[in-house]
Amino acid sequence: MKRVGIVGAGGISRTHADRWNRMPGIELVGFYDIVKDAARAAVQRSGGRVFRSMHELLDNVDYVDVCTPGTAHVEPVVKALEAGHPTVCEKPLANSLMDCARILDVAERTGTQLFVAMVVRFFPQFAKAKQVLDSGAIGAPGVIRTVRSGSYPDAVSTWRKGLAITSYYADFAQSGGVLLDLCIHDIDYQRWCFGEIERVFARGMMYAGKEPKDHALITLRFANGAVGHIEGSWSYPRGRSSTRIEIAGTGGVIEWDSRTQPPVEVALAQEDGSLASSGSSPTAPHHDPYYAELAHFVQCVEAKEPFLVSPHDGMMAVKVARAAIDSLQSEKPEIIR
Amino acid sequence: MSDIRIGMLSFAHMHAVSYIHFLAQMQEVAIAGIYDDDYDRGGRFAAQYNVPYFRRVEGLLEQELDGVIICSENALHAPLVLQSAGRVHGILCEKPIATTIEDGLEMIHRCRETGTKLQIAFPMRFSPPVIELKQHLDAGVLGEVYSVKSTNHGSMPGRWFVDHKLAGGGAVIDHTVHVIDLLRWFWDTEVEEVYAEVGHELLHPGLGIDDVGLLSFRLNNGVFGTLDTSWSRPPSYPTWGDVKLDVLGENGLISVDAFEQNLQVSSEGEGKTSSVNWGSSGDEGLVADFVDMIREDREPSVSGEDGQRALEVALAAYESSRRAEPVVLQ
Repeated sequence: MKRVGIVGAGGISRTHADRWNRMPGIELVGFYDIVKDAARAAVQRSGGRVFRSMHELLDNVDYVDVCTPGTAHVEPVVKALEAGHPTVCEKPLANSLMDCARILDVAERTGTQLFVAMVVRFFPQFAKAKQVLDSGAIGAPGVIRTVRSGSYPDAVSTWRKGLAITSYYADFAQSGGVLLDLCIHDIDYQRWCFGEIERVFARGMMYAGKEPKDHALITLRFANGAVGHIEGSWSYPRGRSSTRIEIAGTGGVIEWDSRTQPPVEVALAQEDGSLASSGSSPTAPHHDPYYAELAHFVQCVEAKEPFLVSPHDGMMAVKVARAAIDSLQSEKPEIIR
Repeated sequence: MSDIRIGMLSFAHMHAVSYIHFLAQMQEVAIAGIYDDDYDRGGRFAAQYNVPYFRRVEGLLEQELDGVIICSENALHAPLVLQSAGRVHGILCEKPIATTIEDGLEMIHRCRETGTKLQIAFPMRFSPPVIELKQHLDAGVLGEVYSVKSTNHGSMPGRWFVDHKLAGGGAVIDHTVHVIDLLRWFWDTEVEEVYAEVGHELLHPGLGIDDVGLLSFRLNNGVFGTLDTSWSRPPSYPTWGDVKLDVLGENGLISVDAFEQNLQVSSEGEGKTSSVNWGSSGDEGLVADFVDMIREDREPSVSGEDGQRALEVALAAYESSRRAEPVVLQ
């Protein structure tokens, strides 16, 4: 039985805790958070115990799962790696390139395994699109477009209300807005599909004074000459979220849209004569992308194999997202070095 | 824990390709070898998975097997099951269980006599969208259920599937059993009566066997419905076929399209736009369930009797079509 401790008891920690709790061979032993009430609440809903310090957590675990906000990754990740515990770090690897560099240094020096939780690579439709691309079915890479758009992530779920994390997202100097928090997924996915990114140009609302709303459109040029487009948004009307993939090559195109008809639709007449309809797109429990990424972490650690996402990949995604933010200010394309 | 050793008996039915793919990914499972009466086909898969190829069934059965997966031509299920019964703990037999009532009964009887567990391959019970429908039905969200409209369309598979001796029939025997099994499972009920319009060579002139089937049935629980089993998906169609169920009740409608989790892939090489499924395969759940059954020494979740009931409905559909009237099942 391997013991997992979670650092940071905010939103994503709940998602991770649910998966750890149903993974064979894993015991979720508890949470550490600088906000004690947050750790206590996490323990109440997900089990384990409250650790009073990072030190105490490190003494009682085999694996560390860092779920703090991106500004607060570097300290717990470095401590976990120094302690020799294989570590999961939520995306982005860190919010600043300086923090990323420090994490990469420590990971290399200690040789401790570090997995950056780029969960989009584990969404079955995104993974399948990559597989089809790699099969050569659409020829050589040409244009890749992805969309990740919804409303601002505050009152989506009632449990999120009142958490400090909601104000973190709205403080763009901290969170980096959609470019760093949301588009990081698409930057990483597109780089995974098409290879290194040469330059980035972005337009967006990060500095438009409309917090917590944000919206960005990114244009990428890849080293192989292909181009990419990303839409990321916290400005869509609630209930009209959208995720899309479109990859075009010399011999075809791959498309997926989250808004196509779902495999299960339930339409029930209500007492007042109105219609309650809902749709869902279920997959097997172990194909849940959050479960799949954490199971991948465990499997690679046990087999001493490299992860699908390297610390370098995590750092490169931050570098491109940061360059996109720079581009907003410079109003010029930024070269990725 | 020692590995569960599985032998593959024939790759005549292409589902074997999917089953071995998922077996090979499973922990504590060993593929002990492949038997196939087609040397090229068996040898190819044996080489791909780096396992021994056997020209004789007996050769593979001597490999201390825990289970076998039988994906032969339908009519050869019976001899392979009879030969394997008593030699392994469990048999996973491709659907339909057999081509005749007598063969199915003998298979079930022999497996019971020898203490071998017989499971029939109905992977749709392991499809997540179908499981979600079952959960809604179990929760009673529809209130009284009135009716089910269903389709299990397919592409015309050719080969032995269109040879009456080996397949036992065409589109009707091929595509009746999946959905009928689901309906029996949803409500723990049986088909009471079936009426069928069967079409021969309606879509494929010269085929020599039925390629269209429309079944109209009534279940013991009072639910009535229809099922389209036709091989009505041409090569230019984006996908091989479908499993769709519209369940109507007093409170509303639940629609399931079990294979509606797709990328659309337009390929110049293929010359068309294809639906590439990214959903969780029912085959994966089926094979895992079969291995679990052997490991835990429990009863099969889908039994030989389940396979036999579904076959009876398919054969009754042919009979109804011949007589041009509804047939009551015993």
